[in-house]
Amino acid sequence: MPAYKAPLREIRFVLNELLEAEKLPELVPDFADATGDTVEAILEEAGKFCEEVLQPLNHPGDEEGCHFDNGTVTTPKGFREAYATFIEGGWTSLPCDPAYGGQGLPKLINFAVEEMICSANLSFGMYPGLSNGNYNAIHAHGSDEQKALYLPKLVDGSWTGTMCLTEPHCGTDLGLCKTRAEANPDGSYRLYGTKIFISAGEHDFTENIIHLVLARLPDAPAGIRGISLFVCPKFIPDADGKPGTRNPVVCGSIEKKMGIKASSTCVMNFDGAQAWLVGKPHKGMSAMFTMMNTARLAVGMQGLGIAEAAYQGAVTYARDRLQMRALTGAKFPEKPADPIIVHPDVRRMLLTMRSITEGCRALAYWIGYHLDLSQHHPDIEKRQESDDLVALMTPIVKAFLTDHGFHAANLGVQVYGGHGYIREWGMEQLVRDARITQIYEGTNGIQALDLVGRKLPTGTGRLARRFFHPVADYIEQTSEKPEMAEYVLPLAKAFAKLQQATAWIAQAGLANPNEAGAAATDYQRLFALTALGFMWCRMVEIALARKDDDRDGFYAAKVQSARFYMARILPETNSLFTILMAGSDSLMAMPAESF
Amino acid sequence: MAIRKACVIGAGVMGSGIAAQIANAGIPVLLLDIVPKEGNDRSAIARGAIDKLLKADPAPLMSRAAARLITPGNTEDDLDQLGDVDWIVEAVIERLDIKQALYQKLEGKRQQGSILSSNTSTIPLSTLMQGLPESIQADFCITHFFNPPRYMRLLEIVGGPKTRPEVLRDIADFGDRMLGKCIVRAKDTPGFVGNRIGVFWMQAAVTAALDLGLTIEEADAIMGRPIGAPKTGLFALLDLVGLDLMPHVDKSMAGLLQPDDPYMKIRRDWPLLQKMIADGYTGRKGKGGFYRLNTAGGGKVKESIDLKTGAYAPSDRARLDSADAAKGGLKVLVTHKDKGGQYAWKVLSGLLAYAASLVPEIADDVVAIDQGMKSGYNWKRGPFEMIDQMGAAWFAEKLTAENLPVPAFLETAARAGGFYKVEGGQIHHLKPDGSYTPLLRPTGVLLLSDIKLGSKPIMRNGSASLWDIGDGVACLEFHSKMNALDPDSLALVKQAVDHVAKKMRALVIHNEGENFSVGANIGLALFAANIAMWPMIDDMIATGQSAYKAVKFAPFPVVGAPSGMALGGGCEILLHCAAIQAHAETYMGLVEVGVGLIPGWGGCKEMLLRWQPGARDPKGPMPPVAQAFEAISLAKIAKSAHEAKELRFLRADDAVTMNRDRLLYDAKQKALKLLEAGYQPPAPQELRLPGPTGRVALNLAVEGFALQGKALPHDVTVSDALAEVLSGGKTDFTETVTEDQISKLEKKAFMSLLRTGPTLARMEHMLTTGKPLRN
Repeated sequence: MPAYKAPLREIRFVLNELLEAEKLPELVPDFADATGDTVEAILEEAGKFCEEVLQPLNHPGDEEGCHFDNGTVTTPKGFREAYATFIEGGWTSLPCDPAYGGQGLPKLINFAVEEMICSANLSFGMYPGLSNGNYNAIHAHGSDEQKALYLPKLVDGSWTGTMCLTEPHCGTDLGLCKTRAEANPDGSYRLYGTKIFISAGEHDFTENIIHLVLARLPDAPAGIRGISLFVCPKFIPDADGKPGTRNPVVCGSIEKKMGIKASSTCVMNFDGAQAWLVGKPHKGMSAMFTMMNTARLAVGMQGLGIAEAAYQGAVTYARDRLQMRALTGAKFPEKPADPIIVHPDVRRMLLTMRSITEGCRALAYWIGYHLDLSQHHPDIEKRQESDDLVALMTPIVKAFLTDHGFHAANLGVQVYGGHGYIREWGMEQLVRDARITQIYEGTNGIQALDLVGRKLPTGTGRLARRFFHPVADYIEQTSEKPEMAEYVLPLAKAFAKLQQATAWIAQAGLANPNEAGAAATDYQRLFALTALGFMWCRMVEIALARKDDDRDGFYAAKVQSARFYMARILPETNSLFTILMAGSDSLMAMPAESF
Repeated sequence: MAIRKACVIGAGVMGSGIAAQIANAGIPVLLLDIVPKEGNDRSAIARGAIDKLLKADPAPLMSRAAARLITPGNTEDDLDQLGDVDWIVEAVIERLDIKQALYQKLEGKRQQGSILSSNTSTIPLSTLMQGLPESIQADFCITHFFNPPRYMRLLEIVGGPKTRPEVLRDIADFGDRMLGKCIVRAKDTPGFVGNRIGVFWMQAAVTAALDLGLTIEEADAIMGRPIGAPKTGLFALLDLVGLDLMPHVDKSMAGLLQPDDPYMKIRRDWPLLQKMIADGYTGRKGKGGFYRLNTAGGGKVKESIDLKTGAYAPSDRARLDSADAAKGGLKVLVTHKDKGGQYAWKVLSGLLAYAASLVPEIADDVVAIDQGMKSGYNWKRGPFEMIDQMGAAWFAEKLTAENLPVPAFLETAARAGGFYKVEGGQIHHLKPDGSYTPLLRPTGVLLLSDIKLGSKPIMRNGSASLWDIGDGVACLEFHSKMNALDPDSLALVKQAVDHVAKKMRALVIHNEGENFSVGANIGLALFAANIAMWPMIDDMIATGQSAYKAVKFAPFPVVGAPSGMALGGGCEILLHCAAIQAHAETYMGLVEVGVGLIPGWGGCKEMLLRWQPGARDPKGPMPPVAQAFEAISLAKIAKSAHEAKELRFLRADDAVTMNRDRLLYDAKQKALKLLEAGYQPPAPQELRLPGPTGRVALNLAVEGFALQGKALPHDVTVSDALAEVLSGGKTDFTETVTEDQISKLEKKAFMSLLRTGPTLARMEHMLTTGKPLRN
């Protein structure tokens, strides 16, 4: 069972030294309370909770899984109690609007907490994660009445929420949605249909569950433009806002699945369940998307969390496990064998996990920081700029961080050798848990299409500007500094490839959309690796400046990780570039029947 | 007989518009109307009409000088002035008695052998001439203009049995060369060519929309671009021309057509239309029409009428697969299963068969009808071209399969393989007797589209081509989307100059697109700027500068032959040509400041050169700088070739062609003349510019405007960059500055502006909305 230690030093480095988040309260009046002391206390407490409460439940939760019995779901032993402690600690209210009982803290801080939760217990994190998505959608699109009714309960965690999108025949293409809404005389609706893959659709944590459901009104236009959003509580709140009549929205079964077994994945049957329209008729998809973008970033944090957990587990094992001698001769002659950490290939795996994970954290928090600015900066232009950057980088954060989470988990198993494959060590669970993150909230292939097909063309590259200009300026300014040459030159090379690839996709994709489609995934990865290169340059610049005050060797290690990233990870951009520039022909030429 | 002076009688919209176009051709014209019942000015009506001409938008007049060629008068005091008038156009109210009385009144006043024509659209020539003396009949014809006369290219000419052939020949020649019109010889039948088919189209389209239960948005979505008509479609077009016109036109057509004419079967009473007219919903000139803008509650909501109930509701965009599918051609459209496809078939099956049944009744050949519909209704293709696109045999078969009558001429075409064919690089058209006859262009008409049929380009890429147009002259054609200039266009400019220098004698830059060029492809530049590909943009500027420089200093004459918009980079290449032969409808301007930039391909430099003091200009280094600054910083666009001369986008000796079809021929002749005269390229010039003091002076003016709120914050930045270039950078008037030095300044200023957020925001806004952002 790998131990988990919340990486607070790493988190502080990114928050305080890289992003200078302690200046947020000055920059953004809404965050006046998010002072350094407050944030520090939150991180400490969150770390402790994750280490002591959530992580110990992770492996047993996986072993036991959820239980389904005639419409009710029982979560694994200890989860219910953990959730009670969780809401008691006020964790669900952290980033929420003070108007509804929230703490109004930056989403950035919540990102850090989410990372820790996902490292400790991804399945547990699903429940509050879905609630938060639900909260965001109602907050953005609900009527004042709906907000007053639901938000305080979602904020204090006494009710949870879901997002009911997928149906048996429609996943990615929600335009095919069949669930229908029929009007009641009182202005409410009745929902008929079946939703599947509904995380937290049914459980034993709370007295009520609030479903947000995509469905079609009788006069709806066909396709994606005819989808509306409804709120449908498990128990219809009575006049006092207490759970009242049981609504006919029932869990039909739960899925048996590869991972996140302690998270209940439900089939939900709507058999005339009473529901209320959220937002405007037929505008459900756009309402959903405001929520979905934040949700996608949150899934990226899941990937980061898993990667961190896998790295920590692997390092512990690599230090302890004694096998063979170092290739250059015994390093620990007093021991029967050297620990495997002496081996280049084991180091390759560890440093790959570490350098990408740290880069991912920097990238994700940077975007989290701008997510806050996009919603709270007093200057509308700054809000727009930040919003552009977040929109651009959301698919990259979601896809790259989850791809890395899975890859790191896999490397973790590899470092353990045969023991990694054995359940009791806990490493294979990470692989299984990580796998879904590459799929839900839009598969990583869909993220890539979103990036090349939607985000790049928006405003003829306006979103792209928010990333490309800072990087170009940074390279221009930093390339003069001799101590930075080892880092900035590789970044400059990768960035030039990224620029060329971007220009090529824009032009080739205009003439033939298949070209953009064929390049998308490799391009997304090229983009992400370059973005991490940028984050690493900025991190190493800080580390180099502070290397003389480095008692714990933190900055020295940062420099080493940066060197590894630049020398052995970033060059992957070269092959990605070559591959994507090869065009679509070799993909599309083969007739479908020849497969 | 040459027409040296003209008279238009009737100063309504059409009459004054015709007078304006005659004046645009440089011909003096009398504009007469009746004496008003009140007031002292007996020519007030005509005078008022001229005032309206000066204010109307789009402008009927090409220059203020043209306005001075129109002399107002009245039909009681001024008929004595007709003694030296060669052509009198009658454009008075559509009443037979009034017209005939006027014709009689003119006898003895007008010059012997002068031409008399009527702009009537509803009274047959035979009726107009009934009972009139032979002397009138011999000089009389119908000249039917379309509204507005400056911009609509169709001029239908109808002669009677007594009309002297020279009358028709002279008026056709004048209409073609001087008025720039597309001449269609029509027979004396109701509606002539354009309206006979156009009115049938509108009526058929209304009837079918009612029968098939389409919304007006759906009808418009099909009856516009998908069938090759202007995007206004049908109901929006009716709003534009006025709903009250419909019953008039219908009544007149119905009164004149034979009872068995297919039109009589599709016309019907339409109570909704009558009610709308009665309620004042006569279209855009009234309270609204099929569409209206509801401003109740302070909002601005576009509403549309429900054809069944007559109630207005917020307009909803049509969602018809067939409208998109129509990109695949008319056949795809008319066979599409949805109601848009059914609608298209219902309208076109009737319309096109009708057209095929009207040859030679309304015109001698299919060419006249196709040209009439293209130049009179702005259709992309005429009816016979539409049939050919679907396949005449296929169309005939489908009519047969649906038990619809197939006109004999269509059967002939189905057997022969279409109404048109290309043989030996030459278009031939089908006669009703089943023979093909070559489509001959008049002398002086040279079309690139004809050349393309018979030859392959000398060189070509995705954005431009080079053609051999004979006599050692090459034609450089732009053909990218909207002829926006991109690296491919520039590369071909360079290659064309190299090629002509080695293998040919002269170059014409011309294309048959709607616009000569809307300027540089700013989408490309914006995207490159957004992803910080500065070297690529730097390179685009340098490439453009060197390509245009190559044009300017080529060892052979380069003649620019623009039509339509020539903006930004499209204007700049013309500024570098040895000479210009411009279509009268050429709209030139350096509009870069609208997107937060300045001309980067030599536009600043050339404008400085254009404004170097001539004999009559004020001397000193500042006036040219100030003039160039004004033209560029205000993004002035010349609204005609004549105005372009005033703004010095064109030189005084650059030539103007009124008829677009004659433009390439004229340009080629101009190039050959320059060759004959022993063409020598210009020598590079050196300029004396004011330097920083000039820049300060210009900036002071701009800052003054900014303080008054007349200049926007970013205008100040852009103007300063422009001022720095035009004032010559760090020079002063004791030194000289070379052309290349100014080009360098242009590039530097361009790049610095491109790195500013507000410039990128302006570019993005222009691309998304087509309008300048005011930031």
